[in-house]
Amino acid sequence: MIEGIVYLFLLLAAIFNLMGLVGILLFPDPYTRLQASSTCSTTAVISVFIAVMLEAGFSAITGKVLVITLFFFISSPVGAHIIARYAWNMGIVPWRKLRKSSLEDLPHD
Amino acid sequence: MRVRSKWKLVRILFTTVWLYGGWLLYTGSFETVSLCLGALASLLVATATYNLFIAEHEAARKGLLVRIHYGILYLLYLLAQMYLSSFAVLINILRGNINPRVVHFRTRLHSDLARVLLATSITLTPGTIALELQEDHLIVHWLDAKTRHSKYAGILIKGKMETLLSRVLL
Repeated sequence: MIEGIVYLFLLLAAIFNLMGLVGILLFPDPYTRLQASSTCSTTAVISVFIAVMLEAGFSAITGKVLVITLFFFISSPVGAHIIARYAWNMGIVPWRKLRKSSLEDLPHD
Repeated sequence: MRVRSKWKLVRILFTTVWLYGGWLLYTGSFETVSLCLGALASLLVATATYNLFIAEHEAARKGLLVRIHYGILYLLYLLAQMYLSSFAVLINILRGNINPRVVHFRTRLHSDLARVLLATSITLTPGTIALELQEDHLIVHWLDAKTRHSKYAGILIKGKMETLLSRVLL
């Protein structure tokens, strides 16, 4: 039973990591790429930690992994925030989806 | 002057207790030498770094202790929210259909720690990244924006996190 849940979380981690990488390649600008890379990878790493905690059961290792997870909860988003904030203060304009109506408003040449 | 030195002592003591807990967890031994060494080391580190852990102006806050049960509830809520929005981002990546926007909104939280935690949680949830936090004003990049109205966007992004956080930190 627990083995199955552990494998499920590891599979989730693999899927999230892969999709994060696909997102980096597909997305158009720094902010959206950061969204794909940092946040999906965070979920992947957290999934690995949960799998490790379930595998270890109730022991000292679980406590250590829990502390590492809490540290990761703080450090990972702060890193992403610093990159995003630097891009924002540099004045990089976020990419926006153009609507069809706004395309029609553009002058034709 | 006396109040200040008293507050300094409390801060050093608090930092020491936290550091000692970490020492106990990571050494995992209860021998006398290890215990004494840990106490000495954490006291030494605490006297050097108490100012970083607990700033002097934090004295106005009601308590340094967090409410543990609400803290655990908050972590579980954050975890559930993370997985839910991860799948949403996954679908967005697969479909290639995104609608990114930058939205501005305000928060009701008062203490610095609570605001930073809120911004961190917003960044931790996939699909939103906090770009800037000034006083109570948050600027957030939203991968798949459902609205442009600032107050409604705030409600959608923050969800229950804000109310839970105001209960976690007294």
